[in-house]
Amino acid sequence: MTATEGVEAVVGSLSTGEPEPMERGTTARGPWSPAWSRFRKHRLAFGSLIFCALLILTAIAAPLIAPYGYEETDIQHKLAGPGSPGHLLGTDLLGRDILSRLIYGLQTALTVAFGAELTALVLALAIGLLAGYLGGRVESLLMAFTDVMYAFPSYLFAVVMVTVLGRSIFALVVAIGIASWVTQARLVRAQVMTLKEREYVEAARSMGAKGSTIAIRYILPNAIGPILVTTSFAIPAAIAAEAGLALLGLGVQPPTPSWGAMISEGSRYLLAAPHMLVAPAVLFALTLLAFTWIGDGVRDAFDPSGEQR
Amino acid sequence: MGLAGYLGKRAVRLVLSLIAVSMLTFTLLQLAPGNFADLQRVNSGATNFGGVGTESMVGELESRYGADVPVWKQYLIFMKGAVVWDFGPSYKYASRNVQDIIAEAFPVSATLALLAVLLALLIAVPIGVFAALRQNTKTDHATMFAVTLGHALPSYLTAAFMILLFSATLKLLPSGGWNGPEDLILPVLALSLGPAAVLARYVRSSMLETLREEYVTAALAKGGPRRTVIIRHALRNSLIPLVTVAGPLLAALMTGTVFVEALLRIPGLGLYFANAAASRDMPLLMGTAMFFALILMVTNLVVDLIYGLLDPRIRTVGGGSHDGH
Repeated sequence: MTATEGVEAVVGSLSTGEPEPMERGTTARGPWSPAWSRFRKHRLAFGSLIFCALLILTAIAAPLIAPYGYEETDIQHKLAGPGSPGHLLGTDLLGRDILSRLIYGLQTALTVAFGAELTALVLALAIGLLAGYLGGRVESLLMAFTDVMYAFPSYLFAVVMVTVLGRSIFALVVAIGIASWVTQARLVRAQVMTLKEREYVEAARSMGAKGSTIAIRYILPNAIGPILVTTSFAIPAAIAAEAGLALLGLGVQPPTPSWGAMISEGSRYLLAAPHMLVAPAVLFALTLLAFTWIGDGVRDAFDPSGEQR
Repeated sequence: MGLAGYLGKRAVRLVLSLIAVSMLTFTLLQLAPGNFADLQRVNSGATNFGGVGTESMVGELESRYGADVPVWKQYLIFMKGAVVWDFGPSYKYASRNVQDIIAEAFPVSATLALLAVLLALLIAVPIGVFAALRQNTKTDHATMFAVTLGHALPSYLTAAFMILLFSATLKLLPSGGWNGPEDLILPVLALSLGPAAVLARYVRSSMLETLREEYVTAALAKGGPRRTVIIRHALRNSLIPLVTVAGPLLAALMTGTVFVEALLRIPGLGLYFANAAASRDMPLLMGTAMFFALILMVTNLVVDLIYGLLDPRIRTVGGGSHDGH
């Protein structure tokens, strides 16, 4: 409890303009409540959160929202410019509606990114907790593996994995997830190493709590802040990785749309049809920025003193 | 521990890591479905049922590249060649050896990477200093906002916006290809913005730190002109840690130019690597992967050494210090 109260005290004294006693009577527990109120004050991050929520809803409801299917061709109107009747953002070389392909591409991007980061998070938590808590052999194994993975540029690894697993959403999730879990596992381990020396953990141990209970009930909840920060920065990185692999011709199998493939196609017909490049590039940029700003907000919320910057 | 001992220890680690990378890549690629012969048949249109290469063609390719011997033997043959810098012929570019392709394509990627890091430094140092001197003003916030933009967008997306602006709209620069020096401008610019953002943020915080040091206050109190104090005392000392950031950035760029190469059709090593993966050109894929890993590890080692030379405090700590970051 002391640790939690400490965080609240720090956050309370830092929150701008609010009179001090306000924090006293609240029933807020854990790092969540003050973190959330700090996040909400971060206007850019909060706006980005709303934008990303809309993106996620759009991706889920893609078949309802997209005016056409992603494979549907309109042979009469190939390379139609933006604003042409029936095609708000125009059509591509085969007469496929660009807006619809963007929406389905969003689905691809978000499925891969969230899937990959979930995979990475689960792996990182499991192995990081084990390594940090048990030490010994698990730890030296993790460190040896980390050394190898650091020598292996993550995109190289992802390329090799996609070569092995084929060009599917599943393959991309695994490839990007495995390429990015190492950093997070190291972070979890470092967190656990410091947290397990804290007094409240020692107290729990002296009262006879089991190792697994200590790891899950006492250490994990307090390590979650920094982990959340890295994860929220990892999401835009995974989106960029998916598009990058597609750019190299190693993304999802066409005709399933991917923003990276759309950008690559658009650059080839740059002079004849610049709208093929403009639309995916702009939406891609906005999405990446919004997710990055959420990351900024999460970081500031959990780390008010700016230590990690 | 002396420098020789430290170097020896690092060299052993480097070799062990390389062996691990080679085994990992080799094992994974053995599991990859489809092979070069099959893909060739499919792509040349001469497919029979199931899109499988004809027996004789597969057999011919296999004996030519030694794929008809057991896997562990293949690995040993590959490694025996790799040690003397001979990766054998590529599948896709059959008349050329992998090491010749690397020797021809790597300088292209390396040129892009080096120029991009140089440009990034040229952009980042003044911007970082400028923002630090105006800490918490509107200018500072605006600059740091721009830095976030540069940091968040991957190089190929920046390149896409640049060809839209400079090639499609202004018609000033070619939208890709590799024919003359003007083809360098867009890729180098696009590649430099991300690293510039990272470096600028670093220069700013490092500068803010040194500006608070007592020797800076003392120099100012003694009546030294502000500009001289800032350049001579503050800037010089805040640039030392920059080596640790710029080095890994350079290493990452050496292997990370691939996306821009793909978008702008530049024949760098990254592009060969990606094409090798797409066409299952195993010797080229193995060779480039090993080469990239080697470059990354050597650069990291050199950075650690330079950092040790610049900051003697680290040297006295000894060999174990690199585990700290």
